[in-house]
Amino acid sequence: MQAANPSHSPAASSPPPQESDPFQNVSAPERTVLEYLRARGYKAAEKALLDAIEATSEEEKTKATIAAEEMVKTLAVFSQSPSRPGENALNDSSNVVQELSAINSPASLQNLVASIGTVGAEEILSQDPTDKQEGFRELEAWVEGSLDMYRPEFRPILFPIFCHFYLDLIQRGYKDAALRFFSGFSPSLAAAHSKILHHLSTLLLPSHVQNDEHAQRFLNEKYMVRMSRSGFSLLVGWLTEGVGGEALGSGLGFSGEKGKRGRAAVMRVVNNHLRFDVTSSKSSAILSTTWEETTGLLSSLIPQPSGSSSVTKLYDPRAFNLSKGDLKLGPVPMNEELRSETERVLREQAMVERDPNVQYDLALTRPQPLPGQTAPSEADLLPRPPNFKTIDVDREVSAVRDARRRIRLEPSALTNVIDPNSPQANAVRARALPSICAYTLHDVVEGAPCLTFSQDTTLMAAGFAESYIRLWSLKGEKLRGMRSDFSSNQVRDPASLRRIKEKKGSTTRKLIGHSGPVYSVAFDPLSGSAAPPKHLLSASADGTTRLWSLDTMTNVVAFRGHENPVWDVKWSPMGIYFATASRDRTARLWSTDRTSCLRIYAGHLGDVDCVQFHPNSLYLATGSSDWTARLWDVQRGSCVRVFIGHQGGISSMAISPDGRYLASAGEDLTISLWDIGSGKRIKKMTGHSTSIYSLAFSQESSLLVSGGADWTVRCWDVKGAGGPKTRENGASDGGVVQKYGEGTSNESADLVATFPTKRTPIINVQFTPRNLCLVGGVYQASETR
Amino acid sequence: MIARVTHFVTVTGLSMNTNAKRKPTTTTHTGVYKADSIKDVAEFLGIGISDPVATALASDVEYRIHQVVEVSQEAAKFMHHGRRTIMTTSDIDHALRVLNIEPLYGHTSNNPPTFRRAPPFMAHPSTVNAANPNSASSTVYFVEDEELDFERVLREEKIALPKGVSWTAHWLAVEGVQPLIPENPPAIPRDTGEAHAEAPTTNGTAAVPITTTHGGLFAQPAPGTISALTSTTHAGVGANAVAKKSTQPLQPQSQNLVKQVLSRELQLYYSRLTSSLLPPSASDWTKRSAALASLRNDAGLQALLPYLIRWVGEGVVGALKEGAQSDNDGKVLEVLMDAISAILENQTLFVEPYLHQLLPPLLSTLLHSSLPPSHSTSLRTSASQTLSRLLTTHSTTYPSLSPRIMKTLLLALISPSKSKGSREGAVWGLVGVGKEAVRKGVVEGGGARVLGDEYISKDGGQQDGLVKAVLSALRVLHPTSETDMNDALDPDIPSDKAVIDELNEVLGRYFADQVLRAGDAAWARAILGKEEDV
Repeated sequence: MQAANPSHSPAASSPPPQESDPFQNVSAPERTVLEYLRARGYKAAEKALLDAIEATSEEEKTKATIAAEEMVKTLAVFSQSPSRPGENALNDSSNVVQELSAINSPASLQNLVASIGTVGAEEILSQDPTDKQEGFRELEAWVEGSLDMYRPEFRPILFPIFCHFYLDLIQRGYKDAALRFFSGFSPSLAAAHSKILHHLSTLLLPSHVQNDEHAQRFLNEKYMVRMSRSGFSLLVGWLTEGVGGEALGSGLGFSGEKGKRGRAAVMRVVNNHLRFDVTSSKSSAILSTTWEETTGLLSSLIPQPSGSSSVTKLYDPRAFNLSKGDLKLGPVPMNEELRSETERVLREQAMVERDPNVQYDLALTRPQPLPGQTAPSEADLLPRPPNFKTIDVDREVSAVRDARRRIRLEPSALTNVIDPNSPQANAVRARALPSICAYTLHDVVEGAPCLTFSQDTTLMAAGFAESYIRLWSLKGEKLRGMRSDFSSNQVRDPASLRRIKEKKGSTTRKLIGHSGPVYSVAFDPLSGSAAPPKHLLSASADGTTRLWSLDTMTNVVAFRGHENPVWDVKWSPMGIYFATASRDRTARLWSTDRTSCLRIYAGHLGDVDCVQFHPNSLYLATGSSDWTARLWDVQRGSCVRVFIGHQGGISSMAISPDGRYLASAGEDLTISLWDIGSGKRIKKMTGHSTSIYSLAFSQESSLLVSGGADWTVRCWDVKGAGGPKTRENGASDGGVVQKYGEGTSNESADLVATFPTKRTPIINVQFTPRNLCLVGGVYQASETR
Repeated sequence: MIARVTHFVTVTGLSMNTNAKRKPTTTTHTGVYKADSIKDVAEFLGIGISDPVATALASDVEYRIHQVVEVSQEAAKFMHHGRRTIMTTSDIDHALRVLNIEPLYGHTSNNPPTFRRAPPFMAHPSTVNAANPNSASSTVYFVEDEELDFERVLREEKIALPKGVSWTAHWLAVEGVQPLIPENPPAIPRDTGEAHAEAPTTNGTAAVPITTTHGGLFAQPAPGTISALTSTTHAGVGANAVAKKSTQPLQPQSQNLVKQVLSRELQLYYSRLTSSLLPPSASDWTKRSAALASLRNDAGLQALLPYLIRWVGEGVVGALKEGAQSDNDGKVLEVLMDAISAILENQTLFVEPYLHQLLPPLLSTLLHSSLPPSHSTSLRTSASQTLSRLLTTHSTTYPSLSPRIMKTLLLALISPSKSKGSREGAVWGLVGVGKEAVRKGVVEGGGARVLGDEYISKDGGQQDGLVKAVLSALRVLHPTSETDMNDALDPDIPSDKAVIDELNEVLGRYFADQVLRAGDAAWARAILGKEEDV
């Protein structure tokens, strides 16, 4: 490779291109190239090519179809003049780009690709691995040398070009060249794209590229890049003329023929695999945060309308979200009879307690639709039993009580405090921040993947890697199931029911039934905070979801359908229905009275890792390993919103009780806050240093609490402005605060408090109806084997 | 193919998972899995393969391992959903199972297999090299197969049942403030500037002691914090001062006592305070004054009071017992006097129950016969000043206090067996007690006369400390005499003559002469209690 470097070879810059290639129409392309290389003195390249031809010859046979197709794609640039040597090809490619920039519509692009003509000898030259190195080095130098205002929008194009070059090299069997290329250029990209880079680095053989899903997505889909108009024309200018941003001291060697071939290689990728979303806005409007949302292999992440051809494909998540219309995010209207009954009970209680205010609270404490929100009508809801029960009334009454006794949290007040040590700051902090009660499990052997508290905080359940669930009474009451030796006709009245209860019991109970680690447990919400829950759901690696009765302490139903591990299960806010998320890339809706699922929500490209119901249970949010979150219409089963922007799989989600925000935590260690109505990202919250396991909103939706593997519980101000914490004086207004690809290692400004624990990863955080925060985790003994 | 892959995973995959997870993902690896290993396995299976095949297979094996294990791949998913950060063998097993590959039985995360490295066989290097150049150079790894003595296992091994899972609950935060309880980790120290900048996010009270610890010597406690914390704060003051030097243990016995009763912060404060006060040296004057200032002004030291007083008392006794002639003893006593006065000045301390313990060191210093000559005067003056402050503050609650002290002082003054030093101290003490005490003791009680007679009989009037003391004591009786009419007493005027006589009678000749020599009629009259007559 070094010998082939043009700066060392005298032949590189001097000879006129016309006379360089005497063999024009030779049938064996390899021979042509070899002769060409020999003539130019590229001994090392010649040898490498010889080796490569030997190595690839067997594989060529096995994948002949791909080779032909790929060949056509790679040679798009040279389509119109197959016989002319290198320099002229550049002129042609400039034509192509000019055409591209002039017309700028996908249809014409397709035509361009389709208009590829016959294949000449020359294009074999394009396989030379060195031109990739050169091309990428030049591109990088150009991007880094560009003006400050353009650099952030140019940087995102480096990554797709890098990936394609690497995949190209691997596909052609240049393993060593690919590894050299990777080690040479990946460090500069590692900050923003480490996960994909690492994944690419594991692909070493052409067959891997053929079989690997990510690689295929790169090859078959367009990579979206957003760019301003002026930035785009600069890029086109560089690709065609090679002007601007040359590395200092590079001399003629780079702008010579070698450099041109390198640029041609870049242009091939640009033409075939990149798609530019050219905006008319100024370049400074493309901020560091938005590149995450608008850059990437988006077309498959966005659900495409059925029957859409490639012309009408959606490439912009915002366009998709917009096309789906408004959502009904308001609270559920209350059943009229239930309302009057609840009011009656409240009035009675008011008489007993001599507190005349109680009865008026129902109207006040019921959530009202926020301005701009549409409340769903009764008809929109999932079918429910027509009549309400006593437990429903109890639940509503206790909800009113909870609302009255609630501790109100106002984290936004904290931002006004100047002196953090003053007494009034302490007072504000007390008002703004919650009290957090931490439950710590000890002596857990294999690990507890999940933990949850019932809404009335009488019960705690944890699922264990050893396939069982353990239930604890937090009040110290005995948990008693039913005896197994009774006949149902003996049960006539409550007294006889009590008789068949077990005599003995303890405050903890083991529920055995699963045959794999239990990944999620959930108490049913039907009784609210009025009474202990009656049922528990659990999801496990064995592919089943199980319903447990807490009266009998036994497994009642096993819901089968997912063939793969079920990662998450959540009850709908009104009970009866529940949703599961599985490794089989679907989320499913179930009801407790049927063993088969009611709806399947399919569309994610990776595991569905978590689900979360909207508080009015009309919508279901799913988070996936394909780095996106989606919002589904529960009844229709269609995707209505897609949230793109995370740079890693989504590990946990929460929807605010007012129905407006979705918070998602990703493996990129950030928490994103999304506006569900518009599908836009409001802000990105950074601060956690390892995986985030759980998120919860306070009852007023003003505070977000997160817990994670870094042994901390963190509180975030939902309403506060995000962004990096320490701002350079005055410079922060400049628009481009952060450079592209630079991870924010420090905490963002809306992190209002951090509470460390002692070696306890927090696996669950939740708020009680009265705004007490409960967190749970497993203590990790410091000895590690 | 698949079967072979699983075999490779057995070898490499498991050795990976026992290490910590997530290696830095940016490193490129040109072959974790070497072609040589493929060849070894092939040899083991009795197949011969060529180099290119081995290389290609190695690449493929590596890819398959990544597919099973790596970041965002199967085993990692199971690890994430298991809410762990360490990958276990069960994760690999689950990953293999969902990939439709038979899991590897016999491996548990509790009992990871240990891999041993076998050194290359070097017995006959030449022959081995000739036969197979590769196998000689490459080391072989194998799973250790531990041999168990069945007898021993049956006899000795007791299988302990694991303790069941249990839970505890504690407050991680109360209204946004993390309580300092054992269940919560100690607050992380931060730099002062940083702590100030990030204070809204730090944990309220928890951050306070840290902030002020670094805040310099005279950091004021934040208002509204509890007293225990403020004392921690000031422990920090001492800590700052002494941190650089190794603290010499002082009076280990009393320190031991302290440690059993007091909170850790107060113990720390006590040891830091005492060690920065004593032993005195010229260099750490600032440290000493900082410690005294802390003692004088800080709240929350009440619990330490008995120990401090005891420490002062023992210090004084210790210094005086050794004869107290050296310069160092003088300095020690000086510091201790300062400490007493600081304790008395502290508004937040409730000293009264300890007055009976505080007075002996004070009076001992005052009346001791032989203080170090260099310090004796200053020591006695400061002791008398302290005594005076003590009496003015507390004589209202203990009316009998001043008379009792006066009696002690008078005894020391008049009884002939006492040394000069004691007497001087007694006079200073009387000055400290007040004007009336001076009049009663020195003038009417005949202290001056006795002293004067002694002087005359001894050496005819050589001025020294004692005389000065007496004179200044007498001065107390009429402090403002210099400015106004400064007429001398004239022995010719009868009224003056009477005064002179009376002076001679009351003070004795020696001191009468001294007074008359000053030529101040008003003073003389005042001594006799007659100023209002003139």
